[in-house]
Amino acid sequence: MSATGTTRGGRRAVRLVSRREFVERIRDRGFQISTSITLLILVGLIVASSFTKPGATYALGTQASSDVIRSIGNEVSSAGDAQGVHVGISSVDSQAEAERLLRDGTIDAAIVEGEHGPVILVQSSPPDQLVGLVQVVARTALARDALANEGVAPKHLEAALDQRPLAVRSLEPPDPHAKSNSAVAFVGVLLLYGQLFGYGFWVATGVVEEKSSRVVELLLSAIRPSELLTGKIVGIGLLGLLQLTLMATIALFVSNAVGLLTFPAGALGAAGLVIVWFAIGFAFYSTLFAVAGSLVSRQEDLQNTMTPISLVILASFFVSIGALSSPDAPLVKLASFLPPSAPLAMPPRLILGSATPAQAVLSAAISIASTVGMIRIASRIYASAILRTGRVGLREVWRSRRTTDQATGVRST
Amino acid sequence: MLELVDVSRRFRDVVALDGVSFSAPQGQMVGFVGPNGAGKTTAMRIVLGVLEADRGEVRWRGRPVDAEARRRFGYMPEERGLYPKMRVLDQLVYLGRLHGLDATEAPAAARRCVEVLGVPDRVREPVQQLSLGNQQRVQLAAALVHGPDLLVLDEPFSGLDPVGVDVLTGVLREQVEAGVPVVFSSHQLELVERICDSVVLIAHGRVVASGSIEELRSRGDRRLVRVECADAAPGWEEMVAGARVIERFTGGAVFELDGGTPPDAVLDAARGAGTVTAFSVVRPSLTEIFREVVAG
Repeated sequence: MSATGTTRGGRRAVRLVSRREFVERIRDRGFQISTSITLLILVGLIVASSFTKPGATYALGTQASSDVIRSIGNEVSSAGDAQGVHVGISSVDSQAEAERLLRDGTIDAAIVEGEHGPVILVQSSPPDQLVGLVQVVARTALARDALANEGVAPKHLEAALDQRPLAVRSLEPPDPHAKSNSAVAFVGVLLLYGQLFGYGFWVATGVVEEKSSRVVELLLSAIRPSELLTGKIVGIGLLGLLQLTLMATIALFVSNAVGLLTFPAGALGAAGLVIVWFAIGFAFYSTLFAVAGSLVSRQEDLQNTMTPISLVILASFFVSIGALSSPDAPLVKLASFLPPSAPLAMPPRLILGSATPAQAVLSAAISIASTVGMIRIASRIYASAILRTGRVGLREVWRSRRTTDQATGVRST
Repeated sequence: MLELVDVSRRFRDVVALDGVSFSAPQGQMVGFVGPNGAGKTTAMRIVLGVLEADRGEVRWRGRPVDAEARRRFGYMPEERGLYPKMRVLDQLVYLGRLHGLDATEAPAAARRCVEVLGVPDRVREPVQQLSLGNQQRVQLAAALVHGPDLLVLDEPFSGLDPVGVDVLTGVLREQVEAGVPVVFSSHQLELVERICDSVVLIAHGRVVASGSIEELRSRGDRRLVRVECADAAPGWEEMVAGARVIERFTGGAVFELDGGTPPDAVLDAARGAGTVTAFSVVRPSLTEIFREVVAG
């Protein structure tokens, strides 16, 4: 098989096909609407997340009839503030009222009178941070009461109870951007997954459209299958890149405007990573999607041939979500070098600082090399399946001689 | 001139083409006829490079066809197909460019084409919104837009009303007069007989007859005469020696002459039976030749 675009006519054909794919799709009303909706959702998410305060917020109910409980509540609130946890106190008149507020979700926990002193009331599983805070404060308060009852002078009492907490010393200095990096990596993985799957699916449906409308025979009387395939992938891929760049630019701009990200350099780098890895991943997956499309003649049958590819992308996506919390896990490390999963797993590792640039280059090289191999296999299958009708078996088209490429090829040169 | 030389192709165990050779000279309209499954579409696809031949060669202007030459061919596949959601004019410009027209030639050529074929006011609409008849016209425009050196049309007349047939015939005639060889397949044999300069008859993957219509019609060994005879006694036809009745109609019959029988023998017998009002030597129609060679 002669490589695509080796002749001037071949390059011209690829350019014409890719331009048609790009222009026809960007003109499509459905595409314009879905892009606008995606952008609106993205901007909405960013703006909404800028309104939520950093740190946790809890509501604690305290039984008003007990002085001890009231004072515990106040101490919890101020102890929380010191730790960056906001605890709002609302007083309740009875245990019954506390239960009602817990059930309707107004409060997260309540301190009420029990038979043997104060009891923490929660709806089901207790919110650990809040309950921990209450336990510490309550133990101190109860100890203070007990010691005061034993006649310890208030002066000694405060000195005895006011102990410094243990100092924490980290082996590695904490990354001040860790939280926002993780958020950026999450958005990046989500975007990559969406774009790879969405645009890959477009390649598959585009192939089926040409097959089901029969226009493919007309096209193949003018150009070679490999030129048609390459042009389609390049055109749709460029549109995907453009859309991704647009989304990244707007996301960065809006984030900056609402003050969510204060590290434009890092976010810019992350956006660049996502765009580059989309290109690498799309080159790999789009050929597979094209094969899936070429094996069927109707859009309804596409689901069957696409399922294996969808599963691989989905599995890669889940591994990459796992990479957000444990970027150094062995499975994640492995996945970041394997061609099908690397485009999704490598970017979060890079953004979280778990992989070195050299590793990224190696992973990209593995992906690109295997993509070259994939393209050869895929265009052979595509070329012999594209003119057949009905559901075509993979083995059958692999064995069959190519129907077209050679015949339209450059026999004379 | 387009030449197919000993072209063969099999699909698994089925031999679709078995050493097919024929040619379409400059300025000729060639009808490509044969029963269903004879190999017409396969042969056309091989000419266009959509399929590959197992053996044999397609030659254009004396040289093996290459991609460059094929780009200058115009094709209408049997399975009609255009991008349903793409606008008519955009589609024609795109196809014109794939066939080698540049960015300024293609739009002009596409406009010219839709004007000639009579769909100029619908060119901004997607193809799927056009009537079937108009879609057919756009399909023809797709084959013509780049001003091809050769036209290959698979069943171009199927589904056309008589007016459509006349329009298409006129368009193809113009192409032929401009020196473009036109090859088309059809089941409408009367039409082929009427408009083609030559015919290639194919059956079971082989060319069973080819040549100009005149050659084909006079080629057969059968000699037929047609006689109209007023007030002859019923059954007189059976009395004619050396000839056999192959068709009877009111007031006359068609005879096939045996080996040495001269046509006069039938005329003399008819004169004896009644008043002869018409007498002619009949050449077999394409349909008759078709039946004969396909059955034999």
